[in-house]
Amino acid sequence: MDFQGINDRLLVLHAPGLLGADEPRPPDPADKKDKGRSGDPYVLVDPQQLVPFLEVCRDDERLRFELLVDLTATDPAVDDEQLWINVALLSVTHRHRLSIKCQLPKADPVLPSTTPVYRASQWHERECAEMFGITFAGHPDPRHMLLPDDWVGHPLRKDYEFPKEYHGISCE
Amino acid sequence: MDERSTATEQLEARVREAQVAGGGEQEFMLDVRTQDMEVNFGPQHPATHGVMRVLMRTDGELCTGAQPHLGYLHRCAEKIGENVEWLQYLPYTDRYDYLAAMNNNLGYSMAVEAVLGIEIPRRAEMLRVICAELNRIGSHLIAFGTYGLDIGAFTPFFYAFREREWMQALFEKICGARLTYSYIRIGGVFNDAPPGWLEEVALFCDTFEQKWPEYYDLLIENQIFIKRTANVGIIPHDMALDFGLTGPMLRASGIDFDLRRDLPYSLYGEIWKDGAFRIPVGKGEKGHLGDCWDRTWVRMVEMMESIKIVRWCLAHIEEGPVLGDLPKTLRVPPGEAYVGIENPRGELGHYVVSGGDKVALRVRVRGPSFTNLAVLEDLLPGSLVGDAIAIIGSTDIVVGETDR
Amino acid sequence: MESGTNAFLEVLRMAFGDLAPGWVLVLGSTLLAVGGALTLIAVNALFATWLERKVSGHIQCRFGPMYVGGWHGWAQSLADGIKLITKEDLVPRGGDRTLFMFAPALLLAAIFGAMVAFPITPQIYFANVDLGVYFILGLSALTTIGVVMAGWASNSKWSLYGAMREAAQVVAYEVPLGISLLVPVMVAGTFNLLDASAEQSGWYGMHWFIFRNPFMIPALVLFFVASLAETKRAPFDLPEAESELVAGFMTEYSGIRWSFFFMEEYAAMLLMSAVAAVFFLGGFESPLTHFANALWGDKLFVTADGVTSLSLAGLPYHLAAGLTLILKALFGVFMMMWLRWTLPRIRIDQVMTMGYKYLTPLSLLCVLGAGIWEAIRS
Repeated sequence: MDFQGINDRLLVLHAPGLLGADEPRPPDPADKKDKGRSGDPYVLVDPQQLVPFLEVCRDDERLRFELLVDLTATDPAVDDEQLWINVALLSVTHRHRLSIKCQLPKADPVLPSTTPVYRASQWHERECAEMFGITFAGHPDPRHMLLPDDWVGHPLRKDYEFPKEYHGISCE
Repeated sequence: MDERSTATEQLEARVREAQVAGGGEQEFMLDVRTQDMEVNFGPQHPATHGVMRVLMRTDGELCTGAQPHLGYLHRCAEKIGENVEWLQYLPYTDRYDYLAAMNNNLGYSMAVEAVLGIEIPRRAEMLRVICAELNRIGSHLIAFGTYGLDIGAFTPFFYAFREREWMQALFEKICGARLTYSYIRIGGVFNDAPPGWLEEVALFCDTFEQKWPEYYDLLIENQIFIKRTANVGIIPHDMALDFGLTGPMLRASGIDFDLRRDLPYSLYGEIWKDGAFRIPVGKGEKGHLGDCWDRTWVRMVEMMESIKIVRWCLAHIEEGPVLGDLPKTLRVPPGEAYVGIENPRGELGHYVVSGGDKVALRVRVRGPSFTNLAVLEDLLPGSLVGDAIAIIGSTDIVVGETDR
Repeated sequence: MESGTNAFLEVLRMAFGDLAPGWVLVLGSTLLAVGGALTLIAVNALFATWLERKVSGHIQCRFGPMYVGGWHGWAQSLADGIKLITKEDLVPRGGDRTLFMFAPALLLAAIFGAMVAFPITPQIYFANVDLGVYFILGLSALTTIGVVMAGWASNSKWSLYGAMREAAQVVAYEVPLGISLLVPVMVAGTFNLLDASAEQSGWYGMHWFIFRNPFMIPALVLFFVASLAETKRAPFDLPEAESELVAGFMTEYSGIRWSFFFMEEYAAMLLMSAVAAVFFLGGFESPLTHFANALWGDKLFVTADGVTSLSLAGLPYHLAAGLTLILKALFGVFMMMWLRWTLPRIRIDQVMTMGYKYLTPLSLLCVLGAGIWEAIRS
């Protein structure tokens, strides 16, 4: 199914947390500042209801997204109040993809962990948590993934300050 | 040292007690519980295919728990993506899966092209596919050679590298580098093929086709190899999907899915329609479906299928431009795209967010080795140490991609 | 048979004669014999490392050593030996220092002892041991203690793995090794290497044991496989499994101590091949020896003043016989090397299964069959 079909199906199923969809559009000729948006369409989902939403995606006959391909986050700008969670799903049976975006407040980024739905998200969430400071409630193994266990700070945030030294090694 | 002597002294004291009590020695011997040993498998180890550490708990030779520790090769690729320009980021992409660098270039270029919305010249697409498939052969050759080395067969490694040398020489002729190419760029490819290059690729295909059955018989059909890898590290159908495995690991478990055929990109849709290649799916020939032997088998057969794809491209390639017209300082319009391609190890995904600037807002690299590696936590417990080596080898990870 | 050490004794007597009392000459001849055995081990290690590198090279489509010394890098192992001697003597911190230093010495001592029973020619040997092959097998089994010592004293869990595997493997394969050897011992009627070799003369030097009994060929195959496991060669090289355990029990060893392990490995390979050569493939007997015996056989001994001693005129015979045995033993060594570079490694539980469940019953069957065959024939 193409994106329209998937979106319609999600609406029909009353998928929990579905807030809307965003599709690429050309620049608005009326607004000089608007450059439009290109690339992929995605659905916007409420982060607190991401888990039941993913369950619907995984279990529904027509959607059947068996694979969680990617779960990551984005910090769009220093002054932006929000962090995005980006999830990419893939269906092996129906051969279609879906991109999901959730928006979290930067001040307190907490959402339930999706590990009960897909085992694959366990490692992706660990990496997200350490890089962005997002807390995945109920994660079975919240250790650091790529960074050393005692690393301070969340590197992929736009306001991240690189430390001056680490264990006596200068980082200048 | 102190811990050990205390434990020994304690043990000795208990034995003395049992002896003094008389007849108690029998019960004592039944009660002796040996401690599980915690062994550090890596980060420096010949069999971990890079700097990776697996903390294994073993009871003698039986592994009772495994915890992979990553991050030894973390080079902040994603952070760098937010600090350098679009075109400048290309050499960084080479370096995550350094054994299949062409595919990395391809993934990144395609993701940016999806946001840019530009068309690639046909000759460039042809050269892209030829290089990506040749690199797939090279990467699978290393998987075959080093897996033999892990299992204890020293010789297939040399044969694999002899073929790989030729492949690297071909790439050196076309782009000047042997390992990290930066050849496939946004908008096409960097350089046109020098005269005679395409003929040499055809010669490589012919020679490799003759050598392949020898390698297959030497290692894959070897009884000892089969005994070591069949029925070892079985990944059942549901587990493969739950863990998000892609690539040969998914196909070896019997799931018929390949991005080149099912979500085609570049020229693969056309090539598939022409019936030029097929997708090998594990059949559980030598043991249970989804074991290490199946994964190695899928990789071996994929090499021959890549040869067929390269031959199709050589037959259909035409003259033309190889690089689209792009400004030196590229400004990508605002937008975001996720493009996943079939890397030799699985689905390599690039999620690219642009704010309209000359520097990306976010470059997310979804490395297949990272996702594939998670399966170790559930596969290793219950296997012997020798099997652990076989399983880790069969996941065919490159730590550059696991850690980025 | 004259005692072999008398050959050394005669040399000394010829050189010094009445200058020294008898006991000095005897002591000197014993030391010469000891030196000879050690030299044999060392020279074998030098040659075998060169051969291994050439064999592995050619199997892997490359040349191996080519430069050092000129012709095909023959002096490569000499150069390596000099390098090893000059290396730093490391003992891992926390490891048991005494055991660490003692282990390679024990290994070498055990194999040196076994080497003493190895004859050079039918008349020149270090000692004519009546127990012969039994003595060799027993002493070469002592090397296991050295390996376990080395693995434990290295204070490394990976070395410990290698040591444990070695202990299990050697114990498992001692049984088929010894039992499969019973087949030719039954036919020969003796453990003594020299007597067994002499039994195979006739048919122009081709009356080998392997042609005398249909159960000899399976016995030889079983013996060869068991000897691969005893000497820790691939496909049974788990104790030193390079890609799993870095170097297994040898990981923490460097320099001359490490070379002791390899001297022991190549000496054990040579010994096992030589035992197979003597008991299955004719030992000193071959058409070459047969003709040499015809020409120089009566010139071997010379009697002067009532004392029979070896004569220099019989040298061509000694060369022919010695060359025969060495070539047969080296063929076995070459087969072991060939297999190492071709076959992958077997897992430890599969090794144990093979040893206990397949090789042992098969070797017992061979002994039974060979015995029945001999009984029917006689």
